[in-house]
Amino acid sequence: MCNTNPLMPQTARVLDITVETPDIKTLRVSGKEGLPFEFMPGQCAMLSIPPVGEAIFSITSSPTCRDCLEFSVKEVGAVSSALHSLAPGTQIGIRGPYGNGFPVEEMKGKDLLFIGGGIGLAPLRSLIGYCLANRKDYGHIDIVYGARSPADMIRKSEVKETWAEQPDTKVYLTVDAEFPDWRGHVGFVPTYVSDLAFTPQGKVAITCGPPIMIKFVLQALEKLGFADDQVITTLEMRMKCGVGKCGRCNIGPVYVCKDGPVFSLAELNKLPAEY
Amino acid sequence: MVKKMLTADKLPALWSHLAGQGKLFLPVREGPTVLFKEWSEGFEVALDAPTSAVSPKDLFFPREETYMRYRCSGQAMELSAGEELESAIAFGVHPCDLKAIEMLDRVYLNQEPVDELYRERRAKTTVVALACIAPDPFCFCGDFGIDPVSAPGADLMASFDPRSGNLMLESQTPKGEDFLKGAASLLAEANGQSFELAAVKTADFGLDLEGFSESLKDRFEDPAWDKLYKSCLGCGVCTYVCPTCYCFDVEDYGHEMAGERFRCWDSCMYGHFTQMAGGHNPRPGRKERVRQRFLHKLQYYPETYGEIACVGCGRCLRSCPVNLDIVQAIKALGGEKDV
Repeated sequence: MCNTNPLMPQTARVLDITVETPDIKTLRVSGKEGLPFEFMPGQCAMLSIPPVGEAIFSITSSPTCRDCLEFSVKEVGAVSSALHSLAPGTQIGIRGPYGNGFPVEEMKGKDLLFIGGGIGLAPLRSLIGYCLANRKDYGHIDIVYGARSPADMIRKSEVKETWAEQPDTKVYLTVDAEFPDWRGHVGFVPTYVSDLAFTPQGKVAITCGPPIMIKFVLQALEKLGFADDQVITTLEMRMKCGVGKCGRCNIGPVYVCKDGPVFSLAELNKLPAEY
Repeated sequence: MVKKMLTADKLPALWSHLAGQGKLFLPVREGPTVLFKEWSEGFEVALDAPTSAVSPKDLFFPREETYMRYRCSGQAMELSAGEELESAIAFGVHPCDLKAIEMLDRVYLNQEPVDELYRERRAKTTVVALACIAPDPFCFCGDFGIDPVSAPGADLMASFDPRSGNLMLESQTPKGEDFLKGAASLLAEANGQSFELAAVKTADFGLDLEGFSESLKDRFEDPAWDKLYKSCLGCGVCTYVCPTCYCFDVEDYGHEMAGERFRCWDSCMYGHFTQMAGGHNPRPGRKERVRQRFLHKLQYYPETYGEIACVGCGRCLRSCPVNLDIVQAIKALGGEKDV
C-alpha cells in the first residue's frame, strides 16, 4: 500500500506535558525536525495511541511557534485519557492538518474580540498567538475568558501576564461563582460580554466554548449589534477520517472536518441546526 | 472495442484461467441467495440471477481492511503500511452496482485527498459488467436513468444468453482489451452478432424525481420526518446492503506492544456513530439518524455531486424488516407522481 494514504499517521514525540487544570493537560509534540507539518490557526490534527485509537484535537499553539505543536486536551474519552497518562518522550501517531482554519487574511485591519470558555480557549489561543505575533496586521484586541472556577482556567500565566501586557490588548477574566482567592469578575461569560458592551464597528468576534455558552454568547453579540458575518465560531464533532469521507461530522452537505471547523454565524445559519 | 464470444462449454475454463490472473470475484448462487465471492472450483456462478444480496462495493471498499501496523517498545513507536494488493477481476457486476461504484469514485477518487486504499483496489481491478436479464419486482434502476443491459464505465460488458449458455464479451477500455487478449485461446469470434435478449422491464413505483432533491433543501424540519422514522429499528441493514453507502469507522486491534489499525464499514443508523466522548450527540435519536440517511442520499449528495445517491437496486426494499426503504421515504417526502 502506498504511503500517500491520507489515513496513515507519522510518528511524533511528546516533549512534555503540563497540568493545566484537574482535567486538562497541555502536550507539546514535535516531529522528527520541529513541526510535523505546516498549519494555520484553527486547524486540527488526529493524534493516535494504539491500541486505544485516534481522536481529533485542535492545535492550540500558533504556527509562529516553530519548534512544536501544542494540544490542550481535556480528559473526556479513551484517547484523551491515554494522552493524559503518557510519559514525556513517548512517541505517538499524528496526521493533519485538517480543516479550514480561521480567516486570518480577512480579519486583517479589524479589531478582534475573543470570547472563550473553559477548554474552548484552546483553538482561540492559536489565533491569539498568531495575531499577537503579527500585531501590526490587527487592530485592538479584547479577550474575554471564563471558566467554572479559577482552577479550571487554562494557560493562566500566559493569559494574565503575556497577553494582558501586549500593546492595545485587553484581557477580561470571569468565573461562574465566588471563590475564596478570586478577586476578579464573577458571572457567566455571555452576561459579562453583554455588560462589557462591546461595540460591533470594525470588529470580528471569535468564540469557542461549551455549546450552551456559545448559544448565549451568540445571542449577546446579536443584541450588541454584531452582524452574522462578524461572528465566527469553531465546532467540534466526532471524526474518524478528518478528510470528509467517513461520513459522521456533516451538518447538511457540509463536513466539519474539511469545510469547517471554523464557520461564521452567517454560514451556520444556512445549515440545519444539527451540531 | 473488441467483441468476442465464449461458448457455454468454455465457461469453467474461463473461470480457472481468470483465477490464475488474480483474485476472481463473481456472483455465486448459494441456495436461494446470490453473493459476490472469490471463485473456487465447484461454485455455481449465477449469470442469469437478479442482483446479488449484498452489493459488490466491498471489492473496492472492503468490510474491513488493515492499513497500518504498529510496534511499540519502551517510548518508541514504529508505524508501517499494510501489504500491497494483488490484482483482481470483478466479473458480473450489474449496471446498477457499477453506477454505484462510480458514485463512490466521486467521493474517494475525485475529491481531494484521494483515498489511496480505494484507488489502489480500483486501479488493480478489472471490472466486467454483466447485462441484467432477470430484474426482480424490487428493481427500479430505470428511475435513475440506468440501462440494465449497458454499463459504459466498465472495462468490459458481458451478456449471457440463458438459452445457449453462451457469453458475449465486449471490451470498453484498454484493460478490457488486455482481458480479451489474455483469454484469446478460449474465445471465438463474435462475427458481429449480438444476443437477442428479452426486453428488460424494471419496476415502476410511480416516483417523480424531477426537481425532488432541490425541493428537500428547506424540509429538514418537515413534519414528515416525525412519522417516517417511527418504524425504524436502527438495525443498519439498509446501510450494509446499500451500494452507495460509504461511511466507515477506524479502529485499532492489538495490545500495547503491537497490533494493527483497520477501517471497516460503519452506519449512520447507529447511535455511537456521532456520539462524542464528552457525551454530546448531534444525532441522538432514530429520527435524526433516519433523516440523515435519507437526506444524504436525496439531498446532500446531489447538492455536492449533482445526482441522487440511489441506483434503484432494490436492496433496501428487500432487506428492511419494517419496509422503511428509500421508495417509502421518497414518497413520504413528496416525490410521487400525481395519480
